[in-house]
Amino acid sequence: MAWKAIDRITPADDDGDAPVLSEAVREKIRSFFPRYPEKRAALLPALHIVQDAVGYVSHRAMRDIAELLDIPPAQVLDTVTFYSHFWTRPRGRKVVVACRSLSCHLTGAEAVIEAVKRHLGIGEHETTPDGAFSFVTEECLGACEQGPCLLINERLHGRVRPEDVPRLLNDPDNDRLDVPRSDLYDGIRGPTGEMEGRA
Amino acid sequence: MATIIIDGREIRCRDGINVLQAALEAGFDVPHYCYHPGLSVVASCRLCLMEMKMPDPRTNEPQWSPRLVPSCQTPVRDGLEVRFDSEKVRANQRSVMEYYLVNHPLDCPVCDKAGECYLQDYSYRFGQAASRVVDPKHKNPKKDIGPRTLLYQDRCVLCSRCVRFTQEVSGTSELCLVDRGHRAEIDVFPGRPLDNPLQGNVVDICPVGSLLDKSFLFKQRVWYLRTAASICRGCSTGCAIRVDHHEDRVYRLRPRWNPGVNDWWICDRGRFGWDFIRAPDRIVSPQICRGGEAGRVDWSSLPTMIRLRIEQVVRRHGPTSVAAILSPEMACEEAWLLGTFLRGLAPGAPLARGPVFVEGQEERFPVGCAPGQERFIIRPEPHPNRRGVEAVIEGLGGESADLEEILGRAAGGAIRALWVVGGYPRPDWPDQALLAAAEKLELLVVQDMLPGALTRRAHILLPFCAWLEREGTFMNHAGLLQPFEQAVQPPEEALPDGQYLWALAGHAGLYRAARVREMMAAGLPGFDRPHVPPEEPEHAH
Ligand code: SF4
Ligand code: FES
Repeated sequence: MAWKAIDRITPADDDGDAPVLSEAVREKIRSFFPRYPEKRAALLPALHIVQDAVGYVSHRAMRDIAELLDIPPAQVLDTVTFYSHFWTRPRGRKVVVACRSLSCHLTGAEAVIEAVKRHLGIGEHETTPDGAFSFVTEECLGACEQGPCLLINERLHGRVRPEDVPRLLNDPDNDRLDVPRSDLYDGIRGPTGEMEGRA
Repeated sequence: MATIIIDGREIRCRDGINVLQAALEAGFDVPHYCYHPGLSVVASCRLCLMEMKMPDPRTNEPQWSPRLVPSCQTPVRDGLEVRFDSEKVRANQRSVMEYYLVNHPLDCPVCDKAGECYLQDYSYRFGQAASRVVDPKHKNPKKDIGPRTLLYQDRCVLCSRCVRFTQEVSGTSELCLVDRGHRAEIDVFPGRPLDNPLQGNVVDICPVGSLLDKSFLFKQRVWYLRTAASICRGCSTGCAIRVDHHEDRVYRLRPRWNPGVNDWWICDRGRFGWDFIRAPDRIVSPQICRGGEAGRVDWSSLPTMIRLRIEQVVRRHGPTSVAAILSPEMACEEAWLLGTFLRGLAPGAPLARGPVFVEGQEERFPVGCAPGQERFIIRPEPHPNRRGVEAVIEGLGGESADLEEILGRAAGGAIRALWVVGGYPRPDWPDQALLAAAEKLELLVVQDMLPGALTRRAHILLPFCAWLEREGTFMNHAGLLQPFEQAVQPPEEALPDGQYLWALAGHAGLYRAARVREMMAAGLPGFDRPHVPPEEPEHAH
């Protein structure tokens, strides 16, 4: 045949026989069930939890989630791919996202993007050989008033100047959030109001 | 009943439907992709938009609203006034069609759907000939998404009908929409292919050439196909089907709208399970066995010969020494013709219904649905006409017997001539009891499709034609009598069963099932008025 069709009948290479989600992760996902009329509604929290714990959502992880939530795996795939927030392939331990949209561009994003590339020695959508960083650009990080912005994992850095980039990228805490996203998303508060299940 | 006004015309329409459905039923040709009467409404394709009158907030006077609204999502209500015949509506249709072609490869010459494609039809009627896009096209991939189906993502309009079908009708949810915006694609979860007993329907409901059936791929241009209205023989549900054929070759079976029976769908067992009609060793001529040698005979000499042989048995052993076993694969008319013919020669001849097999279990869809919520049922009885044959035997009166009884009497020598109709496309036909009974007979007439242990024992062997080569009626599991047309000619010199039984019964000319049904109606009231599903309007796909 003159053309090739992508094989979707064979399972993906990251879809092994053994489940990949730990019991702790499963338990955390289950803890969201009572909040919704149906288990399936806990899909977004589940994806956040898995991404927090594993770093990305593999095909096998999607199947694990599907099983927990009692939904077809295709529906998990549907949702995972809808949100660019979720990663389906391993990424660098830290993902640096630069905004390339209007406000950031006008306030100097281009130079910041160049500085990031120079410092990491990689281009867009690439990962450093040691697996420490991945770099991508996005249309808007929703923080126009602080442009130019860089997002490192979940943490936003505003008003970044090109000369700040090396220091920022070398800082081991540059991605540390005070509260992990999956807790923020729909955190379980203990009797005293503090967040439970913190990593 | 609500009355609405479409393009100045008053339309009386059923309650509870949407304006698009009402417009289509009234004959307005409104373009639409995402709407399908058998699926939920998502209003995502934006082709069906219309102008609608709404009360002016100040004066409360109805006025044309400046905004276009999707007709598929607007319920009809008394007094509603809408229009499709307006520059605004046409401008929207033109823009939307232009948008759908931005990345479309325009590969109609090699596309199976060409000729029955709503992208072609709508482009021609509502779009424009020239494209203004100067950028290179984004090329979407082709994907192998299941054992029977290919997905040409580059042709897809993302109407999501296929996805909704697997969610709402089959209940198997293999399909999904991945990514979003201009990168959105239809997909399966890798390793979980589209593979359910109803999956073939997604190819039918795909309005464009995106989902294609591998078994039909590049086989035939659809404009050469002619269509016959038939009934599926896969199980006792009795789904209405279309048989697409060309030069006496069948290319594909598709569902035919039949509200309350199969709606818009058929299962894969019916859709693909007709390979047997192409078996190379089919019985294609009447044969007579003399002195252990089988030889072809002429159709014209056959009636006299059969008549003489049966009369001989009746003379020697009495009128109850002749019996027949009527297959649930026969049409009602054929069963009736054969029954009346035999009873004419041997008035006491007992008639029995042939064996009924069981295939799997009843399968209900959507998978896992609550009882009463089924949208489709595949039944375990793999024959189209058990009830019809039983009704004919009962209607003919006289002695009916069950199969075991007849076989017992044949084994015991009371029955000397047996007429057995087979036509079961299955390896477990015939069984040992039948073969053993056949040993003792003076005359064994067999009507069958494929050669086997029984046909080898036959003194007279007649070809049983596939149902696509015959016409008649089947009665489904619920007693609904439905006619089916002949789509193609039987192979070689075979004659449709109805035709030779008609001649055998002493009638001249061509066998016409409708004519036989009129003759049957005397003893079988209602047989002259079978159920014919309404025609689905061409544009109401
Ligand atoms: S594949 Fe066909 S049915 Fe499915 S979304 Fe695309 S155009 Fe619609
Ligand atoms: S938006 Fe109405 S048919 Fe698609």
